[in-house]
Amino acid sequence: MIQKKICMVGAFGVGKTSLVARYIYRKYSDKYLTTVGVKVDKKFVQSRGAEIKLVIWDLAGEDALTTVKPAQLRGASGYILVVDGLRRQTLDAAIDLQRRVAEAIGAVPFVCVVNKADLRETWEVQRGDIEPLSAQGWTLVETSAKTGSGVEELFQTLTDAMMQEHNVSDSTTGAVAG
Amino acid sequence: MSTAPPAREPSPDPATNGDPASGYARLRELLVGPEQARLEELRRRLDDRQLRTEDLSQVIAEAIALRLRRDRSLQLALNPLVEEAVKISVARDPGILANTLYPIIGAAVRKSVAHALRGMVESINQTLERSFSLESLKWRVEALRTGKSFGEIVLTHSLRYRVEQVFLIHRETGLLLQHAARAEQIVEDSDLVSGMLTAIQDFVRDSFTGAGGQEVETIALGEFNLWVQHGPAATLAAVVSGTPPPELRTLLERTLERIHSDFAAALSTFNGDAAVFVGAQPLLQSCLLGRGAQAEKRKSRGFFIAAAVVVLALVAAGIFLLVRHQSRWDKLLVRLRSEPGIVLTSAEESWGGYRLTGLRDPLSVDPEKLMRDSGVNPAKVTARWEPYVSLHAKFRAERQFRVEKDALEQQVLRFALSSAQLGGEQLSRLDDVEALLVNLQEHAASTGQKFRVDVRGHTDPSGNEDRNASLSQARAESVVKALTDRGISRDMLRIVATGSREPVRPNSGTYLSDLNRRVDFRLILEPEGAR
Repeated sequence: MIQKKICMVGAFGVGKTSLVARYIYRKYSDKYLTTVGVKVDKKFVQSRGAEIKLVIWDLAGEDALTTVKPAQLRGASGYILVVDGLRRQTLDAAIDLQRRVAEAIGAVPFVCVVNKADLRETWEVQRGDIEPLSAQGWTLVETSAKTGSGVEELFQTLTDAMMQEHNVSDSTTGAVAG
Repeated sequence: MSTAPPAREPSPDPATNGDPASGYARLRELLVGPEQARLEELRRRLDDRQLRTEDLSQVIAEAIALRLRRDRSLQLALNPLVEEAVKISVARDPGILANTLYPIIGAAVRKSVAHALRGMVESINQTLERSFSLESLKWRVEALRTGKSFGEIVLTHSLRYRVEQVFLIHRETGLLLQHAARAEQIVEDSDLVSGMLTAIQDFVRDSFTGAGGQEVETIALGEFNLWVQHGPAATLAAVVSGTPPPELRTLLERTLERIHSDFAAALSTFNGDAAVFVGAQPLLQSCLLGRGAQAEKRKSRGFFIAAAVVVLALVAAGIFLLVRHQSRWDKLLVRLRSEPGIVLTSAEESWGGYRLTGLRDPLSVDPEKLMRDSGVNPAKVTARWEPYVSLHAKFRAERQFRVEKDALEQQVLRFALSSAQLGGEQLSRLDDVEALLVNLQEHAASTGQKFRVDVRGHTDPSGNEDRNASLSQARAESVVKALTDRGISRDMLRIVATGSREPVRPNSGTYLSDLNRRVDFRLILEPEGAR
């Protein structure tokens, strides 16, 4: 079975842990628990007819004092950038984070997710903020960890992208060996 | 190829213009001139070392990179070259290499020394623990017998630890490559254990930057120890219960090295498919050493504590009993020595009992009663008493009393057939009885003894029972009356009528049956409590 490590990254309190909890345990809690360091979880996903074991590293959110550790990103085949739709600055943080993650582990597939879609009418993040990123080639999805909308698709999208990479790299290594 | 073709130089010769040969040459030049020029150019470049070097320098890096991706033959080919180059460099100027290595050599030496010291301390501790035990002797014999090293024997026999689970973890991704656990072990989600373990490593590496590349090698969790061995591409982690011996570290090191050499390619190209590492499973299984001795050891420790408590309690109880016995025994000896009529000549204690020898006046207190009073079990005492007569005042008085008692009880007053009247001869005998009773009363007063005298009337067997009963009663009454008339206290005397039930000699002839018509006396000592 293929295993893939993915990381949840994003600013403090955007809902990384809630997304993982919704995805793996299908539950949600309003209670806020800050993640210290990292929490590792796993989930089996189907992609292109194969079963994939996703090992999800839920990293502590970034704030003034905590920054993402490159060591924790090491070996990740993909990552999820989480943005809080209610806070515009978390989108800026995500853009900055994406640059740093790409520096640390290279151009691996990622999905940017704007969370808290259940409170969409009060969002600070506007369509105009997101469109330039789409234009750059970012994959953007909207989710609500609270209602569960978009969560399955989020992980499925990332897994599919990773598997495409996986097969490409397999065929290239095959070509070199031949 | 932009410069003027050099091949053209010999052709413009005005002297040979009209020559057909030159015309052919011109034709040839027109037809294949450019190609010829290019061939000429290529030949020049191939011959010219300078140019060839320049060409090669432009592609050599890409060529090496390409070859490295394909196989390891370049490394192998370069290996002697690099070695030679290093040798030459050192021979020429050792300072260069020394300076280059300087920043890392300190750390390397420190790490290696610390590692060695820690291993040594662990092994000294273990050796001290083991070297004097019977078990270690047995192991050494086994090592000699089987030709294995003592360390190996210790590893397989050590009762103090058990490897419960082994994780093989991909270093870079933290993904689990292989996992082995004891059959009975409840395995938590090994993927998560593997991930979290890697995360802890990362955390430590990031948090203690001063540690400079140090790794977590041991995590202690209650009775479990997590021993982690790091390699360049993979990490081996063993969950061990109890106190693992340092030899286990060596085993983990060796196993990890083996995995690195056997799965070198798979480790470097790992892209998430752990199936290729199934071959490492036997290696991991071989690390599941030790026996379930942790619980056993605890149990036996608990058992030893319980046993120690019981032994202590027994010893304490024994001491207590011994002291009590001793004090009772001493008390008994004191009593025996102070008791009139008993002369203790020896008192010995032996296993399981006591031995007493001495002299004893039969009138003295029963020694067994003294033993019981002192709390000594008479059954445990072997006593040999030689009888003797004590001259103690108490016994003299008592002996006198007994003599008089016997004398009294031998007195018999006889009666005529069917009569209750004392005859003249009998009255003189009554004087003796009176005198004995007076003396007895005096002696009894001096020793504090109390007694009464049964005056017993008897008849011969003739006549009917009722008549005999009243006759015997009348005989006893007449004697009592005669005695009280002489001043003997009536309180001391009791009338007993036996009829013909107590003949002097049963079934005797008529003559002897005359003797049955009588009154006799029995002295009854009052029990002491009646005083």
